[in-house]
Amino acid sequence: MKIGFIGLGIMGRPMALNLLKGGHEVTVWARRAESMQPLLDAGAQGVSSPAEVARAVDVAISMVADAPDVEQVMLGEQGVVAAHKPDLVAVDMSTILPAAARDIAARLAEKCVDFLDAPVSGGEVGAVAGTLSIMVGGSEAAFAKAKPAFECMGKNIVHVGDAGAGQVAKAANQIVTGVGVLTVAEALNFAAKNGVDPAKVREALLGGFAYSKILENHGQRMLDRNFKPGFKSWMHQKDMNIVMQSAHELGLCLPVSAATAQMFNAMVGAGLGEEDSIAVLKLLERLSGGEG
Amino acid sequence: MAGARLGFIGLGAMGRPMALHLLRAGHEVAVWARRPQSAQPLLDAGAVSCATPADVGRRAEIVFTVVTAGADVERVVLGPDGLSDGFAPGSVLVDMSTIAPGTARGIAQRLAERGVEMLDAPVSGGETGAIAATLAIMAGGKAAVLERVRPLFALLGKSVVHVGDNGAGQVAKACNQMIMVGCIQAVAEALHLAQAAGADPAKVRQALAGGSAGSRVLEVFGGRMVERDFAAGVEARLHHKDYGILMREACRLGVPLPVSGQVWQQLNALMAQGWGREDTASLLRVLE
Repeated sequence: MKIGFIGLGIMGRPMALNLLKGGHEVTVWARRAESMQPLLDAGAQGVSSPAEVARAVDVAISMVADAPDVEQVMLGEQGVVAAHKPDLVAVDMSTILPAAARDIAARLAEKCVDFLDAPVSGGEVGAVAGTLSIMVGGSEAAFAKAKPAFECMGKNIVHVGDAGAGQVAKAANQIVTGVGVLTVAEALNFAAKNGVDPAKVREALLGGFAYSKILENHGQRMLDRNFKPGFKSWMHQKDMNIVMQSAHELGLCLPVSAATAQMFNAMVGAGLGEEDSIAVLKLLERLSGGEG
Repeated sequence: MAGARLGFIGLGAMGRPMALHLLRAGHEVAVWARRPQSAQPLLDAGAVSCATPADVGRRAEIVFTVVTAGADVERVVLGPDGLSDGFAPGSVLVDMSTIAPGTARGIAQRLAERGVEMLDAPVSGGETGAIAATLAIMAGGKAAVLERVRPLFALLGKSVVHVGDNGAGQVAKACNQMIMVGCIQAVAEALHLAQAAGADPAKVRQALAGGSAGSRVLEVFGGRMVERDFAAGVEARLHHKDYGILMREACRLGVPLPVSGQVWQQLNALMAQGWGREDTASLLRVLE
């Protein structure tokens, strides 16, 4: 299949590489030309605008930072709508506000472009290994068409519902992972400040009801004090902001998410934004009178 | 200052009494309202009716706006037939609505390109303060512009503080809302605990009023809670809107607001109960 890929950052680059490995013809565009080089070396075709990507492909995928970027590459002057084949399926795999995804879907529908919101979970590791979880919102037909592409990038691919439903699932995912990282950090800091070896505590907890992937993976990285991203805290802050804005609009009470969002605000304010979200452990250590 | 040519847009619970104060001081006041019936009490008192905000801008040298949200201010000022279309260079916009600091700065910048000055001057004190002309006014913008408007502010409020440049008034207002609604939540929790523990909330409130926990919020909102009078006062949906603004600002700046984050959630729960048009004292009912 002819697939386009727009946005070749930490996540987008390995995802596009996996499409190439899956035997697809891949056309790429990125804002910075140097981001495109690794893909061109691997056999992708490079072009000079999202519109030119759309002209060449059956499925056009974007993986960018935030809603304004998605709007720009999909609906901008040099965007996907400017030049596309009939029956193009546009897929955005970034994490944005569900309402923004619905709006983009409606505006693309006016131009006869079928749109899927398909955010992912699994981080850089999952993107490289091709084991992402992909949560998809949009029509059944568009999902069926894009599915072979998804299968090159992820393992657990779920068609959640209509436009925006993928982003709702992703927001729910970010609640669980954001709160989860904070909880594990609190528990390990609690153990350490009580004079108990946090590594032993983690090991003991892994066998019981407190087991989670976050305790296992993120917990280990906390013990190793390996704060290299992974998933940068400022991005988790952005995602929690999406959650809290949606809650505000709908009148939802999310007390635990609210506390978590404030901790992520504190991380960014404390200059930890570029570190992995597990660096919340450092913040807790500082708040508990330690060095962090 | 007498007989100045003024404009006023936004004649709701706050705007109406404020515009009347300006009229009664002998100024000419041109008005425009989205719903013509809102303007009637002002026209009866001698205000001049205009067909569009642009007309208000043409007639007046200083125009006050008191509307709900940032988008409303943008529409009235910069939209089609907006004030900006009618303003002559040297005119002044005084926006007394509560909006995001960034939006206020953006509007000021757009107006500056056309030689028009702006103050962001949100108020605290509610409808009571607007009627009694005892509002607290928090102004952002140039000092010289504030001095020009100060005699008019004196007709509306009893305290005017020049907080800083454009946007600074809105920052102060966000801080005001944070403290006030946080206090309302604290009072609601205290009275709820008193009730649950078998003490008379009215007596508890009375006892507290004399001590270190005494506050304006305990007096006013605590009073409404004790009386179970949840008619607005201040419509809770407006406080909810303000929390949206200040929490977004906190996120943008990387500032942790752990208590405000929780108060925000209680306001969300209040909205979900359908109490948005009732008083913020309804935070007590959320706990119940």
